Amino acid sequence: MTSAVDTPAEESARPAPPSGLLTVARAPGWVRYALLAAGLVVALWLPNGLYPAVAVDILCWALFAVSVDLLLGFTGLMSFGHAAFWGTSAYVTGLVAIHAGLPFPAAVLAGALAAALLALPIGYLAVKRTGIYFAMVTLAFAQMVYYVANEWRSVTQGENGLQGVPREFFGADLTDDYYFYYAILPIVLLGLLAAWRIVHSPFGRVLVGIRDNPARARALGYPVHRYKLTAFVLSGFLAGLGGGLFAVGHRFVSLDVLHWTTSGKAVIVVVLGGIGTLWGGVLGAALVVRLEDWLSFSGFEAIGLVTGGIFVLVVLLFRRGIWGTVAHLLRRRRAVRRG
Amino acid sequence: MRRSVGVAAASAAVLVVAGCGGGGPQSGGDQKLTGDKIVLGVLNDQSGAYSELSGRNSVKAVEMAIADFKAKYGDKAVTKNISVETADHQNKPDVANSKAQEMYDRKGVDAILDVPTSSAALKVADVAKEKKKLYFNIGAATTDLTGKSCNKYTFHYAYDTYMLAHGTGTVTTEQVGKNWYILYPNYAFGQDMEKSFSAAITAAGGQVVGKDGAPFPNTSGDYSSFLLKAPTLNPKPQVLGTMQAGAELVNVVKQYNEFKLRDKGVGLAVGLMFITDIHSLTPAALAGTTYTDAWYWNFDQQNREWADKFQKETGTRPSFAHAANYSAAMQYLEAVQAAGTDDADTVIKGLEGKEVNDLFLRNGKIRAEDHRVIHDAYLAQVKPQAEVSEPWDYVKILKTIPAAEAFRAPSADCKM
Amino acid sequence: MSGFLQNTFNGLVGGAFYALLALGLAVIFGMLRVVNFAHGAFYMLGAFGAYVLLAEAGVPFWAALVIMPLALGLLGMVLERAVIHRLTRLDPLYNFLLTFGLTLILQDLVKSRYGVQSSPYATPAELSGTVDFGLFDFPTYRVFILGFTVLLCVAVWWVLGRTRVGMVVRAATERPELTRAFGIDVGRWVTPVFGFGIALAGLAGVLAAPMRAVNPLMGADLIIVVFAVVVIGGLGSIFGSVAAGFGIGLIQAWGEAYLSDFPIVSQTVVFVVMAAVLLWRPAGLFGREEAPA
Repeated sequence: MTSAVDTPAEESARPAPPSGLLTVARAPGWVRYALLAAGLVVALWLPNGLYPAVAVDILCWALFAVSVDLLLGFTGLMSFGHAAFWGTSAYVTGLVAIHAGLPFPAAVLAGALAAALLALPIGYLAVKRTGIYFAMVTLAFAQMVYYVANEWRSVTQGENGLQGVPREFFGADLTDDYYFYYAILPIVLLGLLAAWRIVHSPFGRVLVGIRDNPARARALGYPVHRYKLTAFVLSGFLAGLGGGLFAVGHRFVSLDVLHWTTSGKAVIVVVLGGIGTLWGGVLGAALVVRLEDWLSFSGFEAIGLVTGGIFVLVVLLFRRGIWGTVAHLLRRRRAVRRG
Repeated sequence: MRRSVGVAAASAAVLVVAGCGGGGPQSGGDQKLTGDKIVLGVLNDQSGAYSELSGRNSVKAVEMAIADFKAKYGDKAVTKNISVETADHQNKPDVANSKAQEMYDRKGVDAILDVPTSSAALKVADVAKEKKKLYFNIGAATTDLTGKSCNKYTFHYAYDTYMLAHGTGTVTTEQVGKNWYILYPNYAFGQDMEKSFSAAITAAGGQVVGKDGAPFPNTSGDYSSFLLKAPTLNPKPQVLGTMQAGAELVNVVKQYNEFKLRDKGVGLAVGLMFITDIHSLTPAALAGTTYTDAWYWNFDQQNREWADKFQKETGTRPSFAHAANYSAAMQYLEAVQAAGTDDADTVIKGLEGKEVNDLFLRNGKIRAEDHRVIHDAYLAQVKPQAEVSEPWDYVKILKTIPAAEAFRAPSADCKM
Repeated sequence: MSGFLQNTFNGLVGGAFYALLALGLAVIFGMLRVVNFAHGAFYMLGAFGAYVLLAEAGVPFWAALVIMPLALGLLGMVLERAVIHRLTRLDPLYNFLLTFGLTLILQDLVKSRYGVQSSPYATPAELSGTVDFGLFDFPTYRVFILGFTVLLCVAVWWVLGRTRVGMVVRAATERPELTRAFGIDVGRWVTPVFGFGIALAGLAGVLAAPMRAVNPLMGADLIIVVFAVVVIGGLGSIFGSVAAGFGIGLIQAWGEAYLSDFPIVSQTVVFVVMAAVLLWRPAGLFGREEAPA
């Protein structure tokens, strides 16, 4: 209805593979359970094999990536401004934790709700457009949030960052990231479960329908804008959940959480993992966070060259992303065997 | 795998029981040196805005300090096993946070050096306090490090906003002109600088005719509305004080020249400038500009000799941050040598109140009250192009500001 | 009064950069449906190229003003053939992502070779004075930028309006379905137009070199403002992008001059305007709603 990117011709050219998630769902029961179990085992083991602070970052970014994929992969909207929600929640979480002294899960919840609240007006304006316009509009709004946080120093402490965010949890000592990891793991798993539920609910099926053919969805009487807006707000909430945990994890908040490079990184993570695969985002988060951690100790200065280079290769050659490619190959093999 | 899950389940259980002491290996107390080695960590910007004035060349400077230390003590050195760990914090405080923790916990780092960018610097101070390990900040300007965010394990080594503003504000008012227009980037650093400058100018008998906070970050890169306004103020300012740093400073200076403010009788004073900034702007664009320098490579024979060695290693002349990293590494090693142990609390006792003279610290003293390291500072003026006789020799020193005057008195906000 | 005129003049100069960048984005988008995230990086390459030419080969500003746009236009054409072309049949988001990745690469390539410190670039001697306008005087170089940009926009306008290439480009940009329906071969103009858009970005970069800090990140934040500018003007509208560019420049300059106690205003005004435009005219001030899907 609004732009050329909506035209049926271009819709049909969309290369997004049937989601890897749905593939797994179609896989035999035992495969699904085995994958789930393997994922859980890795999640429980992670801080023993990795530096715990890095493992904590991976969890936060996993939520962030899944929130972006919820829009990009399942609603067909690429938000290039999701740092606005991740960052707003980080600030609100930090402020609530500092000034109200609430246990950190409550502070994070407050942050995520604030992010969802912010997603409402931004989403309302942004879903009027689709495709590339949507990306640019969200990017611009996120930049606006960045400037507001930058100028609102009495609250955000501006460039110095919000220091000293406590990890209050009923008197438990969570200063060690190793224990903190296990403290936030249930919250992150809940967030991922929520995303999975959303995708598999009737609501999620409508979203996919809108993604694949908005005109038909509209013809069938679905209020397309309202569906997209709901998805946007839910996504903002999930991003906020990740951002709030990130703030508590680092025990401070800086303006970087709102910068457009943070939004860009979230999209990179999703594309690398596989658009529309949900779990691909988790995998992408683990890889990118680990890679950056390694690069900054390696003495190699051009981090952007590596991440940018990998990203360009993925966009050119492996548009399904890692998870999507693997799922695709498995499916093909199965098809061949059957055929 | 099962064992790991067990560990995880166990720790989760511990969590529920709550009140557990922090995990991680604790080092034994009796040992002279943990692991019989000393590890210095240089955590700074190796790819962004500050990578040139400090960056990887600061790692080189620290390596030079280690070599000099070993040469000085030979077999009497407390250990010969001294190494440097380094990481790029990309000017992101969250990266700085993880890297600092990792350095202390995993890489066995005894002291972290440098850390430019105020937000990252303050964060690392928190980490140092929590891990009870030493931290010498060199790259950041915020006085909070020795004010409300001060702590026992943090030393602020090279400079701060007070030093920059006080020297330039006072001497420029006395020697160049009494009426000022101040242009500052509207964020913590710029606002601090503006306040300190205004105070110094007024105290020296000058007045601030006008001041404006420019947007930060300034994406358009345009300062013309401020530069147009400056000469029209009444009374007309004789000095434009710009607090912009790095690329923003470059923009201001370019446009200052474009609008011919010097010809209109408005001189230029800069809040924070590194030798690398003069190099990129060229001395011609800055001739006559005054600023406060913490150290200058061509100040005397001692500096020059070291600068020659530095140039052999790196191919360029050192900024004050390089010299300060060298000095901080050296002073830390000397303190460990004197204490015979790398136990942080013992080393700190040896450092507190110590009076030092070395390459960087002239009439230096490590103040016990707030861990501000004070030393002589220098009011520098950029030479006209015609007087520049060799590359990088861009300034002459107008005045040496004695250590006691150069830095503020210990702040009441600092509670160790 | 003279103060107001000076600030207005400044706003137009700032707007000139937005206009040049937005114009390039608009023609590229028009022909390829690609939003070129790397546009800011090419602007940076233009400025850096001018610096390198001067510092390492002694090539003066005037020559750089010709050489850099040509060189970058050529590079743009190569990139279009080599990578962007392969993705144009897919969702335009992929090219947006591709050019985002290219931005990271280009920035880091320049950074690793020349560092992040701003590189020196002096105003050419012929333009370093000031021009007396009676009520106020103004740096010659800025007068030159404004005049040059306006001339360039008029020239582009003329080419688009009077030549066959122009008609094809304009038709393809503003009425893509109709153009294809008429069987006009748009294909062979794609690569040159992409190169032309990049050349404009490079040109803006060369013009910026004497008055702005030349460093690898100079285009990174700017490009987001330019995105907002083209959304305001209407992404498919060539006239709209230029008009919005100058308009936003003016508003920013006035905001900076008269609301200097509220720097947030000049920083965010472009985004606020964008939000208002989206509410009121989702296709942009001068954009045209395309046929519904």
